[in-house]
Amino acid sequence: MLPFFAHTSGPWSRKDGSAILREFPCERFHVEVLADGYRHIIAELRASRFDTWDWYQLARRADELAAVQNQASGLIALENLRERWSQVGVVPYEHQIRTAERVIHEMHGQAILADEVGLGKTIEAGLILKEYMLRGLAKKVLILTPANLVWQWYQELYEKFGIAAGIQRTQWDWNFADVLIASIDTAKREPHSSIVTSIVYDLLIVDEAHKLKNSSTASYRLVNAIQKKYCLMLTATPVQNDLKELYNLIGLIKPGQLGSYQSFKSRFMADKRTPKNPSELKTLLKEVMIRNRREEGQVRFTERIVHPIIVTLGPKEQEIYDRVTEFIKAQGRRSGLSNMLPLITLQREVCSSFLAVALTLEKMMAGLPRPDLERAATLLKDLAKVKQNSKCDALERLVSQFQDKAIIFTEYRASQEYIRYRLEKAGYRTLAFDGSLSRGKKQWVRHLFQQDAQFLVSTESGGEGLNFQFCNQVVNFDLPWNPMRLEQRIGRVHRLGQTRDVHIYNLITKGTVEEHIMYLLHQKINMFESIIGELDAILLHLNLGKSFESEIMKIFLAHEETEKIQKDLDELAQKILQGREELRASSWEGLL
Amino acid sequence: MFDFFRLCGLVPVEIRRGVWQVRADDALMKELDGWRAQGRLLQFTFEEDLAAAYGADLISPGSYRLNSILQLIRRQGVLSHAHIPHHFFHEPSIRRRILTSFEPGERAYVLTSSYLFGQYLQLELAAAAKGLQKKETLHSVVVNLSSGEVLKFPFPTHLLQGGGVESNLITRRKCSLKAAYLNAAAHISQAFAQQEQSWAEQALEKIAQEETKLQSFFQGKPSAQEFEAKRQELHRRLKPVLSISALRGALLYVPLFRYRLVVVGAQGRERTKTLSYDPIANLSELN
Repeated sequence: MLPFFAHTSGPWSRKDGSAILREFPCERFHVEVLADGYRHIIAELRASRFDTWDWYQLARRADELAAVQNQASGLIALENLRERWSQVGVVPYEHQIRTAERVIHEMHGQAILADEVGLGKTIEAGLILKEYMLRGLAKKVLILTPANLVWQWYQELYEKFGIAAGIQRTQWDWNFADVLIASIDTAKREPHSSIVTSIVYDLLIVDEAHKLKNSSTASYRLVNAIQKKYCLMLTATPVQNDLKELYNLIGLIKPGQLGSYQSFKSRFMADKRTPKNPSELKTLLKEVMIRNRREEGQVRFTERIVHPIIVTLGPKEQEIYDRVTEFIKAQGRRSGLSNMLPLITLQREVCSSFLAVALTLEKMMAGLPRPDLERAATLLKDLAKVKQNSKCDALERLVSQFQDKAIIFTEYRASQEYIRYRLEKAGYRTLAFDGSLSRGKKQWVRHLFQQDAQFLVSTESGGEGLNFQFCNQVVNFDLPWNPMRLEQRIGRVHRLGQTRDVHIYNLITKGTVEEHIMYLLHQKINMFESIIGELDAILLHLNLGKSFESEIMKIFLAHEETEKIQKDLDELAQKILQGREELRASSWEGLL
Repeated sequence: MFDFFRLCGLVPVEIRRGVWQVRADDALMKELDGWRAQGRLLQFTFEEDLAAAYGADLISPGSYRLNSILQLIRRQGVLSHAHIPHHFFHEPSIRRRILTSFEPGERAYVLTSSYLFGQYLQLELAAAAKGLQKKETLHSVVVNLSSGEVLKFPFPTHLLQGGGVESNLITRRKCSLKAAYLNAAAHISQAFAQQEQSWAEQALEKIAQEETKLQSFFQGKPSAQEFEAKRQELHRRLKPVLSISALRGALLYVPLFRYRLVVVGAQGRERTKTLSYDPIANLSELN
């Protein structure tokens, strides 16, 4: 080690000026004389560690230069991050920079970042955090997110901002990490909540803040009780059903901005969904909320190009498909609509691979009555005899034309294994990606895929925030019935940072339920080319989020004829489109 | 930048126009880039296009490499010392000035002369005025450790030479370092108090506005404790505070000329006195 660095790595930090040696009032301000730097000097003196005069002079010049940098108007983080961003491929958008500047210079670190989905709220929050850290205004920082986003935050902060945050795992972590990412559900439980509320944070960031819309929840009470200097709340949907949600959120950021609830109600609410005095309310909201919109043209997403690949089943496959479908319908009629989940699964699997069907059928057999059991056993025996898989043949033909990497999505582990077996046999390098992998392994698989493998066969559509923008081809080996899952699949590659058009290949087996799903998702609601994230909001608005698959299954069970099925699907599509219109026209959207 | 490498004992070589290279060892790279970093040939440039073309580290305001080097430099030189050699002062002139400074009718003769070193503490302080925004300024303050007073005039740093002096030649400090630091801080806060204080006024106005809003929010609610918590939060965020911290310090040793004198009064009475003269403060002390 070079001699002059021998004593540089102590716990002391120049920004760590929290201990106060003396404080006193002086005219219109308060003076704090901080102890830490002084203590460090004394410690050096006691140890008789004198640096050379040349180092001292150079350090003084460095102080001056750092001070000049810190006084620069605008964002010093931009310069600081420029090289990192060029390495990791982050291109900050104008609206993100403007947002960070507004939050810091105009809103004094208290804001709701309510950009529409896909515009990079996390980048904005990270930029603000980095800026505060560089300026020495934030040291103790807490980031509260839903549990499934903790890792994503960690990764984003580390990769894009060079911030090595800690992830909260034990109750000891709250005090020790300066920048800590924690699940809000953990934080609101004892003993954690008592610890969290006893710490004074410089900056609190709450992701998915719409979950705090209800002031009687434990999450709301926790965030309200946390002592904080600056606070950022991230949500794409600050209002969903009631203007009170907006009032509650703003109450967390800046209590009093909208007055008391009674006065807010009388001044700004015609009814719970319709605002009064919108222009006045808008002015007040602008002081605490920033909402960037996609149509404002700041962000250009690349195109999504959809390629339907129609697969015709062989006679044996078709026969088995028909028998499985008949079996499902018979079961559905018998058991009613109450226990639909296994049937939905089976109906979806039969379009994916017979291996997947066989596994589910085997599990189902345990609870079947005698006549059904025999029927299922025969079906299982016949399934085993089918050696052909037309869909996989089609997949092989498709990927043989690919010049670049692709992610192949399937819903089922059995199909995943089979696809990998077929592709490996055909001489391709493949990797499996699924929800059972640990975070570290997911990272590793992502790395291997980027570096080496041609195809990633994935059952994980949502992922743990792993993004694959380096790839621009997605193959849907089977179609999820829930459009949100489909959107999540595509969203792995089609998001900010994707520089190429994204090609989506959908393998559709002719004469099966998949054809109908494709009809609904592609032809009717134009799902594949829809605006990122919009569908989330629509399904939430229509209360269809979790029951969407059941709605479809009901239609299939109710009708035999294609025309009737299509008619009902048309109605469902119409409902979704209407929901979209309602959402776009909702009176509060104009406010935000 | 070049001074930094020179002090690290390294010599950057210009490998192509505008691009320098230096062999940084493990220790230096770990200090710059963290514990995982390893020694390597570090290439740097001051021009953006060259950085892009040759993959050299860019040294420009705000750049990662400049910042990492600045941070490393700022961790050095926390405490240093320097002195002004006694021969920098023309002793006969001092002696003449002393001997002529007595009352009319009095005369003085020098019996013996010697010199010691008095101590000054130079503190580099950062003063952050935090109102709606934070504005940080740097101040260099020199405190006389014999009197505890802050020097009102600039210290002649150009006379300083790095390093200390023999310990037996150093006079004892009469003012503690803590007192010196607090005096320096008081000196800076006085300077701020005499300047315009719009930064503090704006913050106070904002607090008043926000407090009114806060009161309206809590109107009719019995939660006085929550109101107080929110009020404190508001003050924590917006209260105008001048935050003073010490960045680094140096002990400066200044020769004190000491004379043993025989002073002959107007009536011819002789007394033996000791006179110390501080040429920096231009102060003499007769005992």
